[in-house]
Order: sequence, then C-alpha cells, then structure tokens
Amino acid sequence: MHKVLINCLLIFWLLTGCGNDFPVIEDLGSSNYQLTNQIEKEVQFPDFVKGKTVIAGYIFTNCPDICPLTTNNMRLIQERLKKENVKNVQFVSISFDPENDTPEVLKKFAEVRNLDLSNWTFLTGDKPVVDKLMKHVGVVAVPGDSTVFPSGKVTYYYIHTDRIQLIDGEGRIRKNYPGSSINVDEIIEDIKSL
Amino acid sequence: MKIRTVLYLLLFISGIIVAQQNKNQSSKIEIKEAWIRVAAQGANTALFFEVVNNSDKPDTLLAAESELAEVVEVHETFKRENDMMGMRKVNFVVIPPRSTVKFKPRDLHVMLIKLKSDLKVGEKSEATLVFKNAGKLKAGAVVRDMQMMMNK
Repeated sequence: MHKVLINCLLIFWLLTGCGNDFPVIEDLGSSNYQLTNQIEKEVQFPDFVKGKTVIAGYIFTNCPDICPLTTNNMRLIQERLKKENVKNVQFVSISFDPENDTPEVLKKFAEVRNLDLSNWTFLTGDKPVVDKLMKHVGVVAVPGDSTVFPSGKVTYYYIHTDRIQLIDGEGRIRKNYPGSSINVDEIIEDIKSL
Repeated sequence: MKIRTVLYLLLFISGIIVAQQNKNQSSKIEIKEAWIRVAAQGANTALFFEVVNNSDKPDTLLAAESELAEVVEVHETFKRENDMMGMRKVNFVVIPPRSTVKFKPRDLHVMLIKLKSDLKVGEKSEATLVFKNAGKLKAGAVVRDMQMMMNK
C-alpha cells in the first residue's frame, strides 16, 4: 500500500516538472515548425534554439500599444541578463500576423528600435504553420476592430493573448507571463532557477 | 446709415467677445507630457499625453490630426478574460472639469496609422487635438520607447 502511494507521488513529481516551480505547460520538443527569420533565413522552431533557455514573445507589428510594450519588456530582460552575465538565453519574437509581417517588416520593426539581435530572432511563416504553432503554444489571435484607408484598403487589429513564455532547453513551455506588464525581476529569477 | 453703423459695431464687438471666449477656453485646456512611441515607416504607433482641464466646464476631445500618418484615430486598449488584449476606436473622450485625463500605454491613445516615415527615438514632432470647446490645440511630442512612461 505504501509502495503504491510512493510510486504515485513519484509519477506526479515527474509529470509536474521534477518538483520545481515550473511545471511543463506544453511540450514543443517533438514538434518542428518551419519559420522564416528577419533576414529571410528558414529555421525550424524550436529545434534551432534547443539547448538554450528561450524567452518567446508573440506580436503583430501593426499593434501600436501592447506588442511594442511586450517587445520593450523583452529588451529590458535582455539588458538585465547581459548586465548579470547570464548566458545561454535566446529571445524569439513570433508574429501571429504573417500576411502583414514579412521578414522585411520584422527587420524594420527591430531596426527602428535599435534592438540587439545577437541573441534575438524575429520569426514569421506561412499562415497555416503559424496558426498551428499559435494553437500549440496557447496564443489566441482573432481579428477585431479595423481601419479603412482612403484607398478602400482595410487593416484589422487583433484581439490577442498578451504573452511572454519561458521555454526550457528541451523545447518545453515552463511558464507564462503577461507580455506587456511582465514583472522583469520575476522572470530574471525564473531564468536563473530553471 | 446710423443704424447700419451700430449694427456693424455690434457685430464686431460680438465677434471679439466670441474670440476671447474661445481663447479663454483653449487656455484652460492644457496638453502635457506628449510623446510618441518609436516606429518604422508604414507601421502604426501611438501618441500619448495628458489633457488638463483647468476650467469649471467639461470639454470633449473629438478628433486628432497629424501629418505623420495616413490615418489618425482616437483608440483605447481593452482587456478581456484569459490575458486577451484588444484595441478599439473611440468617437470622443470627455475631459471632466478640474481634472486630468491621461492617454497612456494599455489605455487611451491617439493611433497614428501607417506612418509616412520612420519615427526614431529623440525626434520631435507635432499633432493637433480637436476639442469641442477649446478648438484645435497643438501638441508637441518627442519620440520615445520607454517602459518607464507606462507607469507615469
């Protein structure tokens, strides 16, 4: 009876992330999504960042408020990690609006903000691939309000999950944070103790 | 002849009074701390500021104008369940008497849609805010990309 109880506890302990504060939310490790980075190079996500701790943010560049805040928060995290000499961390910003966010648009988005891309990649891809990835990582993005230009063209603004994720070196999502209002101290401590 | 002169005089005086009233009203509305978030040509961004109403009467922000973008609209960011965030157009914003309304990140903002050129950190620019009573007021704004502005 005692053995059964101990075995149950052991299985529970393993399934919930070996007893630490970071249970596995979703395992991306066995999947691969073919995406394109800001310099038009094709990459397999999360394969190309395996072995590194990943800070992933989900954005669309037509967003004037939440996504720039998320991006700026990722920059603050990057700066803190650099200052504290924490290495082996990769930043990834993935667009859920691939029809607008071409590699060129993502490159400009990063350039105008003077972002340090030495360990930061912006990703886009074919819409079906991106949609499948968003479903896998638990990010929802649905068209909401729109603007009609004088030319008649319409731009839609997404209602979307405000998200930054902590992903371990094996491609497993370990913690979710509100991207635009993340507590930088909290994620820095989480990265160190993951 | 005399009646016509008096009428012209009355018209002139009433014009001065109306102009003075408008001037007084506009000076009672102040635009402070205006800044624009850094963004690339072709993208969208937001103008943030504070509107201070020093008068005893409410005023209403009806619209915004700027040469920086193809379309300019007043928007607000909103939150839904499960960490979902969205944005929608608002047709007007009432500025109550003796109060300050902050247009700030994750809240009200003027949306600059499809920028005509890059807006880089440190650059200075201008937009016009259109109020029901105070009329058109210029807002000088600096381009920033600062998290600390969010908490102001």
